Amino acid sequence: MIEPDEDFNLDEYTNIKKPERLFQITVLLLFAGKPLSKHEILSSISAYANEYKPGGNNKTLERMFERDKETLRHNGVQVEAIIPAHEDENNQATVYTIKADSFYWPKDLQLTSRQLALLNLAAEAWAGGSLSGAASKGITKLRSMGIVGEESDIIGIAPKIVSNEPNFRELNNALSDQRVVQFDYRKPDGTVGTRTVHPWLLRQIAGQWLVLGFDQDQQEPRNFMLRRMLTKISYPRSKTEYRAGTQAEIDAAVAALDQLAEKQIAVLKIKPNSEAWFRYEMDLTENKDNGELRIGYSDIHVLAEQIREYANQIKVVKPEALAQLVREGFEKVVDLHA
Amino acid sequence: MPNSNFKDSDRFNLMLALTAVLIDGAEYKVEELAKHFDVSEDEIKQAVKVISLTDFIQIYSESPYQLSSEDLEDGIVSLTFKDDRVIHDVSRLSSRQASALAAGLVYLSSLPGLAEVGEIEELQMILAKGLPSMDTYGVIELTPGTADADIAIVREAISKELSISCDYLNLKGETKAGRIIEPLRLEPQGELTYVKGWCPETEMVKSFRIDRMRNAKVMHERPISESAKNAEVPEEIYTPGDNDVVVTLEVEPEAYGLISDYKPVEAAIDVGNYVKRFKIKVGDVRNLGRVIARFGGAARVIEPKQAREAVRDFALQALGGKPGKTPKDAE
Repeated sequence: MIEPDEDFNLDEYTNIKKPERLFQITVLLLFAGKPLSKHEILSSISAYANEYKPGGNNKTLERMFERDKETLRHNGVQVEAIIPAHEDENNQATVYTIKADSFYWPKDLQLTSRQLALLNLAAEAWAGGSLSGAASKGITKLRSMGIVGEESDIIGIAPKIVSNEPNFRELNNALSDQRVVQFDYRKPDGTVGTRTVHPWLLRQIAGQWLVLGFDQDQQEPRNFMLRRMLTKISYPRSKTEYRAGTQAEIDAAVAALDQLAEKQIAVLKIKPNSEAWFRYEMDLTENKDNGELRIGYSDIHVLAEQIREYANQIKVVKPEALAQLVREGFEKVVDLHA
Repeated sequence: MPNSNFKDSDRFNLMLALTAVLIDGAEYKVEELAKHFDVSEDEIKQAVKVISLTDFIQIYSESPYQLSSEDLEDGIVSLTFKDDRVIHDVSRLSSRQASALAAGLVYLSSLPGLAEVGEIEELQMILAKGLPSMDTYGVIELTPGTADADIAIVREAISKELSISCDYLNLKGETKAGRIIEPLRLEPQGELTYVKGWCPETEMVKSFRIDRMRNAKVMHERPISESAKNAEVPEEIYTPGDNDVVVTLEVEPEAYGLISDYKPVEAAIDVGNYVKRFKIKVGDVRNLGRVIARFGGAARVIEPKQAREAVRDFALQALGGKPGKTPKDAE
């Protein structure tokens, strides 16, 4: 066996410093077998050690270490900070460790090649979408467990989750990290307000992404449609403690919205054998004789949009508010394109 | 296809995963590892070198991992390790990684017949148990699009490399009975499901929409052709042509989705009041009517004139109830 050769020059590879550092911190803290002080870490890892001044000012390096810890956490590696009981006022005495049982995947949770194939397909469903980075990193790790099966019933299928909203990924991060978020929101009637929300659940209904969360100002759970957010989400400066939703609260809020869609029914008359006729599967339903479709909705504006897509193939029988919305939308389009 | 858009944390994840595989001390081909992890061979070589150079100046003078670089140049990876305290097994997922995979699974479970319900639930349980104990699990919920029975038939045909016949609603609003399609890939996207398939009539790959299909049947006596097997299946639903018109659009937040739907010619720019402006390529401007009009004012065409007219005409016809032209976003 030959030692790593001197010819190998890290500089010929770009972008390698950070992954190298992250890997070294991980191996060092697992390897040490005991918690290490910041001094020990910064002086041991080559990526830090070149810059490290023993006994001097290492603020930049310390900040870098804090950021690295955060990146590690987002990649599933928990660096634990331990303050010795007798030193509680002195953060120089803080030591760091990675516990083996928080680091390693549990032994009893092995995945079969069929399960890996399904997870692989689940990751691919995000391809090019909001969570493609997280999904592909996750599947990379799991691939070290075995071979991804080439199941005949899975080939030739390329599902794609559509998540175009600019805020989708950051909201999902906020949800995972349990952080309060803030954004400007425009209601369909045009009123704009800054909302402060404790996100609980990202949900897709009728092709629309919603975030369900606890509304700080209203002091109750509310749904927000991602496409009605005007700004990128930000994190409020004042430290508001995240209020997690209980399962019962989340279930109740989800049910409330679903019940709305059961209660609010629109009646649409669909032109026989048109594209809309096929889209709403009128030929397969029992009501095809009168060409009327009864459809539940939770958001009248979203339904109006869907109807406008099929222009004169669909006539709104009721409610009148829906017919009016569809019409006003078309009138606005005519005005804008005059 | 190897992931070409590799970032720092992707590389770090790859190093963790590679170490867990290489730790058995066996010889692996770079080529095989690249295929296994779906990355380029250079990424594998680079990751392996960094792993082998891991050392801790103060604590341990040599790297705990050793690698033969001569072998690496020959495309062989063989890592030995001197200490069993180094990374020796699969590492856990982060909550973000697990929640992205879990949401993908929920989506798969909405596709008829792809996986058993119990199968998906078991996988989700495994993902949740695989999280580091201090972590929490993000939640994403998806509701399925139409669970069209034809999806199962198309899937069967694809896995057996057979053609299908079906009745298909064409561009003129007429249903053509007994149309033959050699299906290559099924692409559920949000509310709709597309089939990319070889059309033996026109001898090209086309996009078909499942919701416009009726009476689909697997043709057991008609395997797909060699031309179909060798055909390249494009990623996009719509492939731009040489005669496409460049159209300038402006959208409000409610219609921002159009920006990623249509792969703009150049990056979208802010023009104030939350409005973004961008340019797209369009094959036939008449198809813009429905795309723009559905937003009821949150999207508009700036130029050219013929595209503005097409949108206005679509909306006018809708208001006047005159028969409209059938739009096409798929065959």
